Formats: sequence, C-alpha cells, structure tokens
Amino acid sequence: MKPILNRRELLIRSGAGFGAIGLAATFGEQLQAETTSKMTSAGDLGQSGDGLHHPAKAKRVIFLFMNGAPSHVDTFDPKPALEKYAGQPPNEGNGKNREGGFMPSPFQFARHGDSGIEMSELFPNLAKRADDLCVIRSMHTDVPNHEPGLLLMQSGHQQPTRPSIGSWLSYGLGSENKNLPSFIALCPGLPVVGPQLWSNAFLPGIHQGMEVDTNEKTVDRLIANLHHPTMDGESQRKQIALIQQLNQMHKSGLSDHNLLNAHIDAMQTAFRMQTDATDAFDLSKETTATRTMYGESEFARSCLLGRRLLERGVRVVQVFYVRKGQKQPWDTHQKNNEGHRKLCGDADQATAALIGDLKARGMLEDTLIIWGGEFGRTPYAQMNKSDDLSKAGRDHHHTGFSMFLAGGGIKQGFTYGETDELGMHAVQHRVHVHDLHATILHQMGIDHTRLTFRYSGRDYRLTDVHGKVVGDLII
Amino acid sequence: MLRYLIFLTAMIHLLLQSDFSIADEKKTEAIQFFERRIRPVLVEHCYECHSATSKIIQGGLRLDSSQGMLSGGDSGAVVTPQDPQSSLILDSLRYEGLEMPPKGQLSEQVINDFQKWILDGAIDPRLDNKTPNDKSQWDLAEERKKWQYQPPLKHRLADQSSDNWSRTSIDGFILSQLEQNGLSPNPPASKRDFARRLAYDLTGLPIEEHLLSRFEADEKPNSKTRLVDALLNTPQHAEHWTRFWLDISRYAEDQAHQVGNNDSLNYPNAYLYRDWILDAFASDMSYQEFVRLQLAADLVAPNESQHQAALGFIGLGPKYYRRNSPEVMADEWEDRVDTVTRGLLGLTVACARCHDHKYDPISTEDYYALAGIFASTDMFNQPLNESVEKNGDQSKQPGDGLHIVREGKPRDLAVMIRGDVNNQGQVVPRRFLEVLTTKNKRYTKGSGRAELAESIIREQNPLTARVIVNRVWGQFFGRHLIDTPSNFGNLGSKPSHPELLDTLAVDFMDHNWSLKWLQREIALSAAYGQSSDREELKVTKDPENRLMWHMPQRRLTVEQMRDTMLVAADRLNPVVKGKSIQPDDPTSNRRTLYSKISRMDLNRMLANFDFPDPSSHSAQRFETTTPLQKLFLLNSPFAIAQANAIATRVKNISRSDESRIRELYRLVLGRPPSTEEIDAGYGFLENEMDQKWQAYSHALLISNEMFILD
Repeated sequence: MKPILNRRELLIRSGAGFGAIGLAATFGEQLQAETTSKMTSAGDLGQSGDGLHHPAKAKRVIFLFMNGAPSHVDTFDPKPALEKYAGQPPNEGNGKNREGGFMPSPFQFARHGDSGIEMSELFPNLAKRADDLCVIRSMHTDVPNHEPGLLLMQSGHQQPTRPSIGSWLSYGLGSENKNLPSFIALCPGLPVVGPQLWSNAFLPGIHQGMEVDTNEKTVDRLIANLHHPTMDGESQRKQIALIQQLNQMHKSGLSDHNLLNAHIDAMQTAFRMQTDATDAFDLSKETTATRTMYGESEFARSCLLGRRLLERGVRVVQVFYVRKGQKQPWDTHQKNNEGHRKLCGDADQATAALIGDLKARGMLEDTLIIWGGEFGRTPYAQMNKSDDLSKAGRDHHHTGFSMFLAGGGIKQGFTYGETDELGMHAVQHRVHVHDLHATILHQMGIDHTRLTFRYSGRDYRLTDVHGKVVGDLII
Repeated sequence: MLRYLIFLTAMIHLLLQSDFSIADEKKTEAIQFFERRIRPVLVEHCYECHSATSKIIQGGLRLDSSQGMLSGGDSGAVVTPQDPQSSLILDSLRYEGLEMPPKGQLSEQVINDFQKWILDGAIDPRLDNKTPNDKSQWDLAEERKKWQYQPPLKHRLADQSSDNWSRTSIDGFILSQLEQNGLSPNPPASKRDFARRLAYDLTGLPIEEHLLSRFEADEKPNSKTRLVDALLNTPQHAEHWTRFWLDISRYAEDQAHQVGNNDSLNYPNAYLYRDWILDAFASDMSYQEFVRLQLAADLVAPNESQHQAALGFIGLGPKYYRRNSPEVMADEWEDRVDTVTRGLLGLTVACARCHDHKYDPISTEDYYALAGIFASTDMFNQPLNESVEKNGDQSKQPGDGLHIVREGKPRDLAVMIRGDVNNQGQVVPRRFLEVLTTKNKRYTKGSGRAELAESIIREQNPLTARVIVNRVWGQFFGRHLIDTPSNFGNLGSKPSHPELLDTLAVDFMDHNWSLKWLQREIALSAAYGQSSDREELKVTKDPENRLMWHMPQRRLTVEQMRDTMLVAADRLNPVVKGKSIQPDDPTSNRRTLYSKISRMDLNRMLANFDFPDPSSHSAQRFETTTPLQKLFLLNSPFAIAQANAIATRVKNISRSDESRIRELYRLVLGRPPSTEEIDAGYGFLENEMDQKWQAYSHALLISNEMFILD
C-alpha cells in the first residue's frame, strides 16, 4: 500500500470508497433498514460543503460539453463586420478550402432579458434565461486540433497523461453521497479521445469518472453490474447478509480490522447503491411535463439525468454532446449553418430546461453550469470551390471563442471579454482554458495552486504552472 | 523601512570612502533614488513571486538583482536602461499587457518613479547572487557525496551472537532496528498463512493443495527452502513477475487516442514483448542482461532474433496524435526519458525538461542529453517474417510487425528553454547524467542506446541495483524500504533500513544480478515469515510498521483475485504465453496477465481494481476499496460464471449438505469450515430461493478471506 498525502484521501481510502462512512450496520435486519436510506446530506466529509481552501460558492458542477466545437460567430458573438468583409479571404494563418472567405452568420442576433445579453436566434429558450447566463466571448486555447484541445479543456494538458478536472474535484472534495460515485460522465457514445477525458490518471482509481452510456434507457444497462442478472432482490439481500456474516467470522479471528472493515463497508455501500443508483438513473420517475421540457434527444436525457445526479449529491457531472457513432457532432466542416440550426435547437431546449429546473429547485445558486466546446470555429468559410456557399462549413478556431457559465456564484446576465471586429482573436479580457479551470476550482472552494498531488517527483495540479482566477466573473 | 535606511547609510558610507568624481556623485544620487523609491516597492509588491526566495519564481523572472531585471524572464528583459518605452516593467505597472502587481495597480507616483529611474539609467546596486539562467545551481561534487549517488556498500552487523531469530542476510538489520526501538519481531505465521502468502507472492496463485499438505507435514529443517524452490521453478512464477515488470514498462497494446478508424499506431503484437519478459524471468536472466537487451538488443545482440522483442520496452511507448510535429515528438521523448529514468534509476529526470530540476542535481542539459538518444531512435514495426507485405523496411500492417525500435539518424538536441520547442538554447551532446558520472563521456555509437544501457547497468552505478532490489522488496512486504520506489531523489522518502538496502543491493550484484536469488533471500527471511498480528502495544510504538515488526494484511491484486476465482472454479487454463484476452469475458479462462491492455479504453474490471494507467510508468499500485469493485464481484457475468462452476463441482461430489459445505470450503478457501461456518451455511441453505448452491458458492467466493492475505 502506498501512503497517501492528504487527510481527505485517508478518509476516502479507509472508508468505504465513496465517502467516509461510519461503521455501518453489517447484516440481517439492519442491512434491510439500510436499503431505505436515501440521500445523505452534504458535508459527510466534514469540509466538503465548505470548500477545501475557502468557502465554496458552488457545491457541484455540470459541464455541458459540445463535442466538436460550436461556432462562436453563430451563437454568442455577433460580428456584423463579417458582412462587410464577406468573401474576402483572411490574411493570416493557413488552411484548406478557404476560397469562400469571411462568412457572415445567417442567424439574427438580438439582445435578451434585462441584461441585454446578445445571442443568435438559434437559442429561443436560452434567450429567456439570458439573465441567468454569463457569456465569455474571449476564450482562447492552445491548438486548433480536437485531441489536444479536448484534453486541454478536460485535463489542462495536451497529452493524455493527466487527471481530468472531474477527477481533481473528486479528489479535492469527495462526494456528498456515499452511495453514488462523486464523478459521473454521461456520454451516449464515445467522444473523440474517449475515456481519457474522465480519467483519474495518477490519482487513485476512485476518482475516475464513472462512464454512463445514456443511449441506454434502463438502469441496468446504464451501470454495469448494478444488478444480478438472474437473482431477485430479496435473494441477493440474503446472499449479502451471508457474505457479511462470513466476513464477521473471518474478522473475529484477526487482530487487524482496518482493511477488513473497509471491505465490509464497501460491500454494504454496494448493496445500498443498487437501490440508490436505480432510483437516480430512473428517468421514468420524472413527470411527462419535465421530460417534455428537456426534450427527447440523447443530450436531453443526459441533462435530465445530470440534474437527478446533482440533486443526489454527485459532485461532478460531465455531459458529452455526442451520439452513437458520432464522436463530435459540432464539428461542422460542411454545412455549418444547417448543422448549427439542428444542434443548437437540441442543445438550447435541454440546456434552458436544466437551468430552469435547477433554479426552480433552488439549486442553481450552488450549482455551476459550464457550456462550450474545445474551441470555436472560423469566422470564415471552409468550402470547396465548386460548392455553393450554403454548403460551406467552418474550420477549427482556437484563438477566440465563446463559452457560458451559469449559477454557482457567477455573475448573472453578464457578458465578458471581446474578440476583434471579425471574431478572429480574443482581444479584451482574454480567458485561457487554464483561467477557466482556475475559476471553476475557485468557485468550488479550491485554490487551484494548492490542489496538488505528488507524483513522479513533483506536485502536479490541474492548471500546471498556469491559470488565474477570473475575478471579474464572480459575484 | 528602517532596514533600508540602515542599508542605505552603510552604502553611502562605503561610497564616501572611495575616490569621488562627478559621475560617482550622480551615481550616488541614483542609488539613493533606487533605495528610497524603487527597492521598497519591489520588495513589497514583487519579491513574493519574483525573487530567489519565492516558492515558485513566476515567469522565470527575478526582480531581486540587477542581473535578474536586465536579463528578464520568459517574456524577455523587463528593464532597458534609459529607454522607458522598451521597458516591459512599465507596461506591466500601467496594466497594459501584463497586469502587475496582480493584487492591484500601484499609484501614478510609483509608476512615474520607475519611469524616472529607468530614464536615468536604471542604476541598481543590488549584487547578483544566483540568477535564473545560471548553468547549474548544483555543486555536483557535493551532491555526489549524498547516499544515493554513492555506490552501495556491504554492511556488517556488530554482534549477532544472541540472535537466533535471523534466517537470511536480511534479518539482522531488521532485528537490530527493532531492538533499538524497544520492539521485537512477531512470532512466525502459521504454516498455512505462510504458504498461502508465499504462493501468492511468488506465483500470484493460491497454494496448491498438495504443496500445502506436504509443507504442513514436512517437519524437517529447510522445509521452507523446499517450498520456495518448488514455487520459484514454476512457469506460474514467471507469469506473476512478468506483470510486475509490465507496470514499470507501461506495457500497452494501443494508444490513448486514435484518429478516426486509423489504428496504424497500435501494437497488436505487443504480447511478444510480454512473452519475452516471461522467458527472461523463467530463465532467471541476469538483471543486467535484462536491461541491456530491452534498451539495445538491436545493437548488442543483432543476430539473436529471439531477443529483438525485448526492445518493446521503448517500442511500445505511447505515440501521440500529430506525431512528427516537433512539440509532439518532444512529448514522446519525455515518455522515453521518464520510463527509463524513473523505471531503472529511480530518478525523475523528466522534471528537468523545462528547467533544471528543483530538488535533484539534474540539469536541463542532462535531460536533453538523454532525450537526444531517443530522438536518434525510431519506432519500428519489424516484419514478423519475410512473407509479410512491407512499406519500406517496416511491415505495412501493424499486425504483421514486431513493435520495437531501431537506429535513427544520430543527432544531438538543443536545450529547449522552458520546454519550448521554438526557443532553443545550446546543443547538448548525448551522454549520461552528469551526477552519475565522473568524467562525462559522450555517446558516440549511433543513437547511444547501447552506451546508455552500459551506463545504467554497470556496477558502479549507485542506483540501478538499489532500485530493483527495493521494488522486489515491495512486492513481498507490501511496502518498500524506500516508499517512493521511482524517486530516490531528494524529495523521495529516506530508506527505512539503509544498510539493509545497500547490503542486499551488493549481494544481488554479487549473485550475478539474479532476481530469483533475491526473491529467495527475501522469501526465506525470518522477517517475511512473521505473522500479520497487530499487538496494540507494538502498534502504538510503530503504527506504520516502518520497522517491520509484522507482515501487513494485503488485498490481492486484480490479477491474483481473478486468477484465484478461476482456480476455485477449476477453470484456469495453464497455457503459458501468447495473445491477449478480455479478462472479464465469462468464457475467458487464461490468467489475468494475458489481458489486453488498452491505453484508450482500459478494461473496466482492471480499472476498477486499481490497475495503473498504462499511459506512463507506474511506480507502484494504489489499493482502493470501492463499492464498484463489490458490484463487479456480486453481479458480473464473470464472477457468476465462476460461482456456478464451483456449485456444479460441489454438487457433483457429494449429496449431503454438510459434505458439500466441507467440499466448498476446500475448493474455495483451501481449508475445512468451522462449526460456526457450517451452521451459517445451513442457515443460508434453509432459505427459499432458486439456485441456493450457486448463491452460497458465490458468497464464499467473494468473501473477504478470499482476497485478504495475512
């Protein structure tokens, strides 16, 4: 066994895994009684609700990730000047099929809410939530390629060797619900890069995101091995009671109980999880009205499921906007406009529903929502010479793009930063991915420079040697 | 402020003693200005992040010496005397570009002072001590005196006359430290516990019934020796220890990500490297040869085709997306340097990729000297035979190739300043780490891999033997003599028993670097033979068991666990070596060692049970206990299939419940049940449920006793 550095780790490891739990009842009727226990309150780990280094504004986070990268100039960053330069090739950079030149967005932009946040007509539902949003128009990242871009956004590093942000948060804060994992990745199909995006890398295995394929609709298909394929619940209860009885007999002959107790507790939690997770993942418990509000797509299901998980104390929910066989739907190299119309329509409804739902439940205040992709798309067209402009796509673009945040102590109805006249580069109040990470951690009560893990001879952190909390975004 | 006034007075006093000129006078004024208006601001607002005492020197910039200010940091010089326009520090103070200090903008007055000071020539009397770009901050002669850079020496214990506990060369060192701390070793473990522990540590499998009964009946001296030797000479021993090495060499069969359906970077024949390791362990190849071949078989044994697979040590390393672009190749070299240095030398050399190592005497020059070796080495899919389709010299399909390395164009790398491929410093010749060599010889033969191998395995290298001895020790005792087995540097942990580690390392080398010798020496020690009991009084004195007064309780690894389930079900396929399997497939019955290891999508069962991330070298495994593990054990098709097979065996053997229960305990736990346990069994069997025997067998199969080693 390897000695671990921090108190929370010790708690987690010596406890049953998903949180430190007391020496729970072990078998017989007591076990049965345990199955009725549902949610546990925040703060099982002592400080988890209070933040690790300073008071937390957000207790949980849901990252709605638009795989493939949405186009900023078609969504949150209106660029009327593109009309003026339409058809003119950009005079910088290089890339294929750029004969189409700058391409104005065909979508109408308007100001919404009291705050007057501008967004395109593709978001009719989010428009009604404008006063809840904090749009960042000055994001930038290091490279315009999906793999490194995704890894940087999810783990702060371009190579697949570092823990994901969800794993870091799990490591730092533990879980609020001992019967569910602290970090869950919802993905109806694998995104580009794949499981590395929710990897714990060198952090202990318990901090790995639990991957759930939201194409599946029944809970047993959502979580592997949650239920015995043939044994009924009552029989399994008796079986587990027997296991725990055997474990007690085994323990009584030995003088060292720490490890044995950890295993007994983990078995206990597994048993409770069968009930709790069944409940958490069962969307049929939602009203028709709620389900209709979110929509019918895979993404909508993920968002609704995400809300159920957040509600039950899951610390980090990562929703990937992918589909079976479509690893990055937002990568609109062709027919950008048509693609964005469909994608935004879907994302708009479910995202707005999630914000409204969390707000109605009083959870938006301490839940941080993050929406965006690994970078943006070019303000100029990507097309073959022979194509007509309506089929034009937009290429990858990393030097300026938009994301938005909501809830979790972030300013509401606020637009931050600017790209230049044509949407090419973030020029004012630039926010790098590392800065975003630092800010997310800050809201969760973590100083990004102090959440470290000693590995391979040095202290690693999510933001490496970079990152600065963007104080302007915070209430 | 008082401090500065005193300093100022002293400074002026000094100046007054020298010959004065008008120029000097002007300079004195300038110094006074600096001391009054500039230095206090720097101290108060800048030193926290930009001085020798900063925890992290931000942006590589030091503002605590004139040299630091003039040479600047990552963004270049911050002060250009007499030229405020080009002085970055003014832009930063004005919050144009960088915004410094970050806590809030300083007053207009302060900014004007800086402008005036720069205009007047930026006179700065502060003496330089060390500046960030000094060649090396380490005094190598001094550093070489530290224990880890001194060759290990054999130690002798003074008086062993009263010691009748010790069995092998290890024990005297353990005993003397225990006694010094008022502790005594635990009594020996029961023969059963010992045999079970030993079989798992040597072969990864439960002790076979006939070996156990023979050992229990063996009253003659040296009964342990006979058992140890029997186990050491099984192919299962080599299988078990192969996995030990695959953690170190970050064995995997693919890449962490793949572009579209392009699988050309994958390693479908990686298993041939695994087979090579297994053969090497089975034949007890000397560790020197073992390392030499893995680094340079193509150079040192070019005609021995059976040894080329050893090169998978480098050749199965990660290949990253957009490889061949300079940044990405720099990342790949880092993997090679990291695997070699942490894996074989216990040094974290990759830390020195961007800057000199902060804690160990390793410079960026050292890093690039090693990286150059791998920059001069190419990844290579060697055609498996003459008939396969080729692309140049390589097999066209990865499935037709052996994934190894070969010589590339030899070249030296330039230091990349702060790791930036576009910011190149001086070129460094390929060579070994300076702290480990006295006269630093350049590598001249091709890439230098063969010379690197020699530098690593030569007896004078103070680290290599210690590192492997410490690793092997950890496999037996659950903790290492040095708790950070891949970091013997200054931030690593100190050895709990330095003399023991050194003596064992020397003896290991004297025994032809034989890993079987080492394992035998450890397995036969009295220390390893202790019970795992934890007496309260002893726990109080040494709660962490640093002094090794008892054997720890351990959980089986995922390999041992799954293999044990197969053994209990009598389904383990004994075939040794070969292609990979999916370990959680209920029909797969080969040892877990043969699992397909994916960097892209590591098998869920393996990942859940603390298997290390195969994207990089793993120093040691974590041991976590989670409900997801239990769900796998309770409900997975794999576990159910084994439980059902056991139930069938039990039911076939006997008709009475009691004899079936006895049979179940024999098959699963290798011992008879107690009365209490038989009663528990009866109690369970009284339940009304389908497939009672399957459920009962399953319960026993996943009970704690199965997975906990005493």
